[in-house]
Amino acid sequence: MGKGVTLWLTGLSGSGKTTISEILEKILRDAGYKVEVLDGDVVRTNLSKGLGFSKEDRDINIKRIGFVCKLLTRNGVVAIAAAISPYREIRDYNRAEIGDFIEIYCSCPIDVLAERDVKGLYKKALAGEIKNFTGVSDPYEPPENPEVVIESDKESVEESVKKALDKMIELGYVDPQRLGFGYSEEDEEKVKKRLEDLGYI
Amino acid sequence: MEGKRVAIIGLDCWDPVLVEKWRDDLPHIKSLQENGVYGKLRSTDPPITIPAWSSMMSGKSPGTLGFYGFRNRSDYSYDKLSFATSHMVREKRLWDILSDAGKKVIILGVPQTYPPKAVNGILVGDFLAPDTKSDYTYPKALKEEIERVVGDYMLDVDDFRTENKERLLRDIYRMTKQHFDLARHFVTTREWDFFMMVDMGPDRIHHGFWKFFDPAHPKYVAGNPLETSIRDYYTFVDGEVGKLIEVLPADCAVIVVSDHGAQPMIGGVAINEWLIEKGYLTLLSRPETPTKIGSVKIDWQNTRAWGEGGYYSRLFFNVKGREPEGTIDPADYEAFRDRMIEEITAMTDERGAIIGNVCLRPEDLYREARGIPPDLFIYFGNLAWRSVGTVGLGSYITYENDTGPDDANHSFFGYVSVTGTRKNGVREGLSIFDVAPTVLTIMGMPTFKDMEGKIIE
Repeated sequence: MGKGVTLWLTGLSGSGKTTISEILEKILRDAGYKVEVLDGDVVRTNLSKGLGFSKEDRDINIKRIGFVCKLLTRNGVVAIAAAISPYREIRDYNRAEIGDFIEIYCSCPIDVLAERDVKGLYKKALAGEIKNFTGVSDPYEPPENPEVVIESDKESVEESVKKALDKMIELGYVDPQRLGFGYSEEDEEKVKKRLEDLGYI
Repeated sequence: MEGKRVAIIGLDCWDPVLVEKWRDDLPHIKSLQENGVYGKLRSTDPPITIPAWSSMMSGKSPGTLGFYGFRNRSDYSYDKLSFATSHMVREKRLWDILSDAGKKVIILGVPQTYPPKAVNGILVGDFLAPDTKSDYTYPKALKEEIERVVGDYMLDVDDFRTENKERLLRDIYRMTKQHFDLARHFVTTREWDFFMMVDMGPDRIHHGFWKFFDPAHPKYVAGNPLETSIRDYYTFVDGEVGKLIEVLPADCAVIVVSDHGAQPMIGGVAINEWLIEKGYLTLLSRPETPTKIGSVKIDWQNTRAWGEGGYYSRLFFNVKGREPEGTIDPADYEAFRDRMIEEITAMTDERGAIIGNVCLRPEDLYREARGIPPDLFIYFGNLAWRSVGTVGLGSYITYENDTGPDDANHSFFGYVSVTGTRKNGVREGLSIFDVAPTVLTIMGMPTFKDMEGKIIE
């Protein structure tokens, strides 16, 4: 069993959390890791059904997701939480509770998000049709020391995913060979030959 | 000296003794010395590219990093060795620390950066990239820019073991020039706080050309046409350093540094031949021609130790309960190790002269030894002799290298100069671990308690 860890993706709506968590899920599962994704939008239809968007309700929602992540993590699962989670205090609470915790900040300027507006929510929020909309009519507190910062306005999804995986490798949660990050057989022979020629091995 | 930008010009194997000898031919290197501090820099144990550069950049020992060479045992089986790529580095190196702090970095060709990891800036991977078809840059698209600026990028010189020295020399010059051209391009077209390049050229020229210039080398012939090749190259590099400094911002601290030095290679010790002769290693059948140890069948049940080739030797013991067919009782481990140290230290050449081997245990060298370190480190002739892993040579003393011509071995001292310090002059007792805390201090950043070095000032 591998060592469990929680990947906590935080950021405004449309900043790439769900997309990145889905790709991470596939890559890690293909490499043989046990993975569960807790997506904020999905969680609100079951685990946190009935909760609203007041600060109190948001905090309860994030603590619930954190609690499930903690159980999964201690059982060797890679738990991926993708939730706006706007309040620093609650994210830090989850970090302290879980321990093995990688905070991934999906950063994207609000004007880019409003321009993209995949779900059509920003338009409505800016028109005042949605109340308590994070980044427009509700606060978002960016992490102070996230392990990974993803800038979806400046980098490709592939690069963002790689940043997260590199951090997992660096912190020892996944094995690069298992992720297929090692050399191919042919490349390995090439490198070996070069090092022999150079006298290193 | 706070909050400045730092540019590190890394020259693999750039030798402090040669710099001293040719100082007057190296006006830019000399000027950097006169505008700061400089001296010999004690390398890591072992003084090899990997782990030396990563130790320099992290302030952590090879033991903490868990790297004892380019390939390391990944478990206690007999044949599993894994390459020390960037993915295996668990400690933060300067560009990781600086990226985390929001500083912009440019990293060019520093060993152990392939596969490239994300940084706050750009990174060009090292010669552990198989070829330029691979993704050797961060971001990926940087590759196209490199090709636009310098054409086909040279990760290293190809076909190093050659008697065609003219071609090799041309390639070394071409590579070094290209890397400096690219460095100038990057530092003048991007915003940055920390720039670092490593060029492998000096290492390659030492290994390929040392016998032509050094009367102390056994194969030196006076008056040969390549006699000035290394000196000429040093002056060429000096010129490139000068051209790069010219385009650096005036308030930037410049560090010229190498990971180790070089010395003439006297000969090679075929460690496995010696072990066979002494009865510590048994082969199922003994080859009559030189054969790599990895390609012969070993009678493990009658083997107590085997060794790896390289600039130094790593000796591994076949221990019961640890290796699959271990023969040494764990209770006898230390006694066996003491016996090996005694016998290897007493090893003589074919004329009966003591070679002067130095044996070290991992715990003699490091606070901790992560991964799987060798049971013994051996510096043959205190590094004047190479370790040859091949068997089937008929003798453990050899003057022909198993992998083709090679004139130099590494030495324990690299070179460093740092500008912008409060006082100037030569410094004694500098260590490779001093570089990382020095850079952080110049940049106005806090250093880390677990970095092993001290600040050069």
